[in-house]
Amino acid sequence: MFDVFFVQQLVNGLSIGLIYALMAIGFTLIFGVLNVVNFAHGEVYMIGAFAGLLAITQLAPPLFAVILVALAFGALAGFGLERIAFRPFRRFRDEASLKSKAIREATLLSSLAVSIIVRELAEKIFGSNMQSIPQEYLLLKPIEIGPLSFANGQFLIFGLSIVMLGGLQWLLKHTRVGLSIRAVANNPMGAAYVGINTERTIIATFVIGSTLGAIAGLIVGLYQGAIFPAMGFAPGVKAFVAMVMGGLSSIGGAVVCALILGMAEAITTSFFAQGWGDLVAYLFLVITLVFFPTGLFGGGRERV
Amino acid sequence: MRRLISISILLLAVLLVLPGVLSAVGGGYWFRVTTTIGVFSILTMSANLITGTTGLMSLGHAGFYGIGAYTTALLATKLHWPFFLTLPVAGVVTAVFGILLALPTMRLIGIYFAVATLGLGEIIHVTLLNWVDFTRGPMGISAIPGISLDGLFSASDITNYYAVAIIALLAALVLGRLTHSYYGNALRAVREDDQCAASMGLNVVGLKIQSFAFACFFAGVAGGLWAHTTGYISPGDFRFSESILILAMMVVGGLGSIPGAVLGAVILLGLPEVLRPIGDYRMIVVGAVMFFSILFLPRGLLGETSVLSVVRRQFGLAWDRTLNLGWRQ
Repeated sequence: MFDVFFVQQLVNGLSIGLIYALMAIGFTLIFGVLNVVNFAHGEVYMIGAFAGLLAITQLAPPLFAVILVALAFGALAGFGLERIAFRPFRRFRDEASLKSKAIREATLLSSLAVSIIVRELAEKIFGSNMQSIPQEYLLLKPIEIGPLSFANGQFLIFGLSIVMLGGLQWLLKHTRVGLSIRAVANNPMGAAYVGINTERTIIATFVIGSTLGAIAGLIVGLYQGAIFPAMGFAPGVKAFVAMVMGGLSSIGGAVVCALILGMAEAITTSFFAQGWGDLVAYLFLVITLVFFPTGLFGGGRERV
Repeated sequence: MRRLISISILLLAVLLVLPGVLSAVGGGYWFRVTTTIGVFSILTMSANLITGTTGLMSLGHAGFYGIGAYTTALLATKLHWPFFLTLPVAGVVTAVFGILLALPTMRLIGIYFAVATLGLGEIIHVTLLNWVDFTRGPMGISAIPGISLDGLFSASDITNYYAVAIIALLAALVLGRLTHSYYGNALRAVREDDQCAASMGLNVVGLKIQSFAFACFFAGVAGGLWAHTTGYISPGDFRFSESILILAMMVVGGLGSIPGAVLGAVILLGLPEVLRPIGDYRMIVVGAVMFFSILFLPRGLLGETSVLSVVRRQFGLAWDRTLNLGWRQ
């Protein structure tokens, strides 16, 4: 059972799961604050990868600087996304309409439309094929530990995810921005009454969530050697599944479920053909929604 | 009387004028464009029953369309069934699959339903792509016989056009009668407030399943038409982006409106053809049209209420207030 191959697959699954976790946090933050699903999150992931790739091909800076570039573009993408796809639909300020069904569905559709436009524009500019990435930036150098062989990208993923998850916890618990994000997520009207600038908090949420997504996109692109315009769709859906499984507003739950999902996928692909791996996430989604409508770790929430 | 006139004008336009114009401008290519528009009109009208009338946003409609297309293609190529058997069977098979797959998702609402159907659509797509023994995987199924009947007519662009046009008209008739009736009112009640509808004694889950089954039936028939008219299908035709295209057509035309669904299909498939230079940018146009219509025309070009009043003015029968019947505003 616990042969080398299996452990290897588990480690691969864990690193992919951490990537899903980074994306799922972006979803969860935005869902917590606005109660809407951001369908363009996958495109933020793609933008992060492409921004990093452009930086690599144009300037060839050290990896650290590439990550900073992706971070900046992710923040910019998050800001722009909020302005274009979400702001115009928040015409009313009261809580009922902020969390109403109509706004949810309108922003679902508008973020979907924005994601189509962004993805197709990227295809027009870069072509729909995978981009070639300079060898020295690929995160695939093998590192042998005993009988196991890891890629250096996996260490980067582990390190960076833990830093970012820890940083996010610190940000949410110990800074003013984090406090206002938690306040708006809890009660937007109440937050507005005590003098929190809700609009600015919402933008901050989008920026934070999108930087996490953009970094995830860049690292995965370099780790898997695959950067292409449609790369964001599958991880986006999987991150959404992780969010739903985790109980929607629970960041810890989303992270745990993302790890479970990544490992389940890695195990599936080691027994079946590659293509069936995608099925796992969708099956998990349907099973969760049907049997655990409040998520595996969720507290109370409204009807789903 | 006015109703008769309107209907005969519609029939005349679809069955005589449009094919005449199309053959006059050079046939072939334009017939294929119109056929595609027809197939997508059927799809959009059927998706409209779920999304527009019952209020369940479905993001997996292309998957059911794919089930219909593959059923037809396999029956026609392996068992050599003629089209008049494959099309209804494709519809029924798709409806059965729709019910089976939708049963677990029926208690979900709003975005949860949307994402669950997205999952279902992707499950279907992944299965079509990977079940190579049965569906031939990414190679797709080719050499599907066209629509022909020995001694009467053979497969050609005009036959395809008439087959699609007649079935689209039938679908519009059936779905129109379905939505503009007491039954349609019940579906609208579910859309507006399902808890309230349940407390008024409506069987909400039953209604949702029934509307899903009807919509899947027509999606399956549309898939069958697509398989017969193009002769070649592959899993790429039934991806998530096609579901989005269908959704965009609905949003542009107006949710819950049958003429709107057809108009949306005409606009989103016709525009790229007419504006040849931007043909490459089709999906961008789709996205942009969808975005701006959500922003500026939340009811679509022909929103349900305005369409209802148009229909009542034009056809004014089942909605006649004095008859005390049907949908009243």
